[in-house]
Amino acid sequence: MSETPAVVADLSRSPLPTRVTLRRRQNVVLQFVRFVRFDLRIMRMVAKGHR
Amino acid sequence: MARIVILGAGVSGHTAALHLKRLLGSRHTITVVSPNSKWNWIPSNIWVGVGEMEKKHVIFPLAPVYQRKGIDFRQAKGVAIRPYGDADDPRPAVDIEYTLPEKAGQTERLRYDYLVNATGPKLRFEATPGLGPDGHTVSVCTADHAVEANVKLRAVIEKLKAGIPQTLVVGTGHGTCTCEGAAFEYVFNVDHELRQAGVRDLARVVYLTNEAALGDFGVDGMIFDQQGFQTTSELWTGSLFRERGVEAILGTHVFQIDEGVIHFESLDGEKHMLDFDFAMLIPPFGGQPLTAYDRDGADITADMFAPSGFMKVDADYSPKPYEEWKAEDWPSTYLAPGFDNIFAVGIAFAPPHQISKPRKTPNGTVIAPSPPRTGMPSGVMGKTAALSIAGRLKNGKDTPAHTASMAQMGAACVASAGTGLTKGSAAAMTMLPVVPDYVRYPTGRDARETQGELGLHGHWVKLMLHYLFIYKAKALPGWQLIPE
Repeated sequence: MSETPAVVADLSRSPLPTRVTLRRRQNVVLQFVRFVRFDLRIMRMVAKGHR
Repeated sequence: MARIVILGAGVSGHTAALHLKRLLGSRHTITVVSPNSKWNWIPSNIWVGVGEMEKKHVIFPLAPVYQRKGIDFRQAKGVAIRPYGDADDPRPAVDIEYTLPEKAGQTERLRYDYLVNATGPKLRFEATPGLGPDGHTVSVCTADHAVEANVKLRAVIEKLKAGIPQTLVVGTGHGTCTCEGAAFEYVFNVDHELRQAGVRDLARVVYLTNEAALGDFGVDGMIFDQQGFQTTSELWTGSLFRERGVEAILGTHVFQIDEGVIHFESLDGEKHMLDFDFAMLIPPFGGQPLTAYDRDGADITADMFAPSGFMKVDADYSPKPYEEWKAEDWPSTYLAPGFDNIFAVGIAFAPPHQISKPRKTPNGTVIAPSPPRTGMPSGVMGKTAALSIAGRLKNGKDTPAHTASMAQMGAACVASAGTGLTKGSAAAMTMLPVVPDYVRYPTGRDARETQGELGLHGHWVKLMLHYLFIYKAKALPGWQLIPE
């Protein structure tokens, strides 16, 4: 195998989510609010963009 | 009574057929020609590919739906288009070859008044030696491919459980692939499965892609307006890769696959080898092999189709540098040039150029993600063609065609990152428009409508879309109220 480490993208500067962020991403109540908000955004985009 | 022939019963063709029937009733004949007997909700194939959904939940037979709706269905493939008719009859026609087992190989010439080419992609595994289920990698492009992918994934998980380290590679199998989103989804679903099985620490998971940057997705990435800052899809997806410990190898053209070894060239022109135990690589897409003839039988395929096999429509195909590409180059009516009764929608139309910046290696190898035209845009194009045809049949041939340019329409892209009603997650993105318009928007897209979020709610959205679109495709009561 001739793969070199340089080929793999350096992601060490990509921001890591904090524990709070990870918990928020799985919080059912908060995520339900986001679910509704995202659905509304899709509908707004459909109305606005599909001409 | 007019006859409308639709080639293909995927998202765009099936949507066009259902809307035409709704708009025209029984006054005209709608004929759908598809080599497949079943409809497949392809976005959920990734769940079949990790064993989280059964094949039967992503497919259903087309014939009963078309029978109930009064749509003529031929299980056959389109072979040739004769837009000027033939020596016997000036009416345009399309030649089909049956794939229905009882009539396999039989041919028929169908006359049409309107034709919708919605043939979808030809999966070009042959573009890379060793790629695909007949080679050394798996795919999730069809439900059957996804079932096979899961079988092989399970075997790898068993080896991991036995303490044998494994390398799993997911990505694109050629420099000109599209559908990077599907590979993105699959890699994180594989990661999720490995974690669920408690074997993630022994697995090396690699995302091998033709994208020059993470988060490109074949649409040149996105710029989000979040919490008062402009952030990029590159930063956002990079964060997910780092968090999950998935390695990314970017800007690659896979040129050969041997048993357990992927050979690829990177943007700097260097050639590399990557060992693997399991690989799911998306193939490049081409147009379905259709030919076209004039009335004398002369071949006019090159006039109607691009070299890629996709059908030319009302786009600006004149070659020009990347810097001069404009949103208005993109088609809006999907009418084939010179014909007011032939449409090409979904993957079947030839895009005027890439959306993502094409690149070449010092060796001259093209590494250029092709533009995605699946899902939401496909459905919108199918409906647009249906509206144009119905309008012309009702109000006369000169009725202006409806328009829906990808440079104006938006799309929602929900990329699963793992399943489970409480443990799942997905990257939920919206973009408007799909093709950036730098004249209208400084960042190319509407900052209010172009957003990305990661979390459990994304999984719920993807699951909701799965049930909604299968309900819609089955044409169950109220289907037309579900937007494309």
